[in-house]
Amino acid sequence: MSTAEETPKATEAAAANDDLALLLQRVAAGDAAAFATLYRSTQSVLYGVVARILTRGDASGEALQEAYVRIWEKAGDFDPAKGSPLGWMATIARNRALDEVRRVRPTSLEAMPQGFEPAADTVDPLAARARSERLAALIACLGALDADKREAVLLAYYRGFSREALARKFGAPTATIKTWLRRSLMQLRECLES
Amino acid sequence: MTLSPDDDFAAAEFALGTLEPGERAALAARRRREPELDAAIRAWEARLSPLAEATPPIPPPADFLPAIEARIRAAAASPASNDVAALQKRLSRWRAAAVGAAGLAAALAIGFVAREATRVAQPKEFVAILQKSADSPAFVASINLAKGELSVRPVAAPPQAGRSYELWIIEPTLGAPRSLGIIDAAAVTRGPRLAAFDRAVVEDATYAVTVEPEGGSPDGKPSGPPVFVGKLVPVEP
Repeated sequence: MSTAEETPKATEAAAANDDLALLLQRVAAGDAAAFATLYRSTQSVLYGVVARILTRGDASGEALQEAYVRIWEKAGDFDPAKGSPLGWMATIARNRALDEVRRVRPTSLEAMPQGFEPAADTVDPLAARARSERLAALIACLGALDADKREAVLLAYYRGFSREALARKFGAPTATIKTWLRRSLMQLRECLES
Repeated sequence: MTLSPDDDFAAAEFALGTLEPGERAALAARRRREPELDAAIRAWEARLSPLAEATPPIPPPADFLPAIEARIRAAAASPASNDVAALQKRLSRWRAAAVGAAGLAAALAIGFVAREATRVAQPKEFVAILQKSADSPAFVASINLAKGELSVRPVAAPPQAGRSYELWIIEPTLGAPRSLGIIDAAAVTRGPRLAAFDRAVVEDATYAVTVEPEGGSPDGKPSGPPVFVGKLVPVEP
C-alpha cells in the first residue's frame, strides 16, 4: 500500500465532504492510496470522537484502528442521501468506542468509571460553526431543549455517558434520566422532521 | 412505522449510546435479524451524526496508518474460500441448533441471540444474554472456552423465594438438556462446568434457565419450561 503525501493538519477538519465522498468511492473500489488520503484527512476528527468517550489512550488508538479497518470494508455502503461522509465515518468510530465502553465484561458490568466528570473541554456544538445544513438543523433543534436535557444528550453523545453516569452528574435517579432522554430524543426527531 | 414505541426508543438510545451493557448487547443481537429495528437504529445514527462530524479534532498520538494497512492486508490474505466454507459450516450448525430448539422458542415467543456470523477467527470469550423477551435481559452468561469456565451474572432476575434458578445447556447432539448447575439471582455464579463439552457443542448450544425446587431439579431434568433463554455471541477473537 502506498502512502499519500502528509496532509497539513489545518486542512483536515475543513476537508470538503464532496472530496471525502469521492475518496470513499475510490476506497470502495480497493484504492489504497485513496484510503491513505482519507485517513490523513479525517484521523483527527475520528480520534476526537473516540478519545472523548474512551479517555484511555491505548483503547482510543485501538478503536481508531478498528474503525478505519471497518471503513475500508464498508466504504461501498456509504449512502450520500443519508448523511455526510464525515458523519458516516465518525459514527462508525463512535460505535467502536461505545462497543468498547459498554462491553459486557465477564468480570464486572459495573466497570464503568466512577465519578466520571466531564473534562474542561466539553464540546459545545452550539458554538460550532455549522458545516452543513444537517448540523445547522440539529443545532437549532438541540437549542429548543431545556438546558439540562440538552447537556445530558450532549454528554451521552460526546462523552459516552451512560444513564448511570448522567444520574450521578445531574443528581437524579436513572429512571428520571431515562425519561429525560426519551422526551428529548422524541422532541428532537419531531423538530428535525418538521 | 410498525416498530413499537419502546423499540423505537431503544433504537434511539442505542444510537445515543446510553443503553446499559446487557441492553446494548441484546439489541445488537436483535438488529441482526430484525431489519426494522436495524433501520431504526441507522435512522437515529444518521439524525445524530452531524454532532460527530462537529467534534473538535484531536490529533492521534501516533501514526496508525501503517498498522491499519497491515490489519487490512492480514484480513485480505486469509483465503476467502476458506472463510466462506467456515461461515457456511457455522451457519449450518447454527441452523441445526435453531431447528432443535424451535419448539422452545415458539413456546416462549423468544428471539434467539444469533451468533455474529462474520467472525471467522476462533473466539475464546463468549456471552449469552439470557432473557425472557428481547429487551429484558435477566442473566448474562460469560464463557471462556479456552479455560472451559462459565460465569453467570444476574442483571434483573427476580429472586424466587424457596426456589432455585438452574442453568441448562441444550444442543441436539446432547439429547436431553444437561444441567450446568444452580445459579444465583443475587450474585455471580462461577464454575468450570463446560470442560466436559465439545467446543462446537458449547458454541452452538442454547442456554436456558428454569425455576426449580430449592437446590435444583431433583431428577436432573428441567421440571418446567425455561423462563430465560439465549445463545452465545463471541465478544473477543
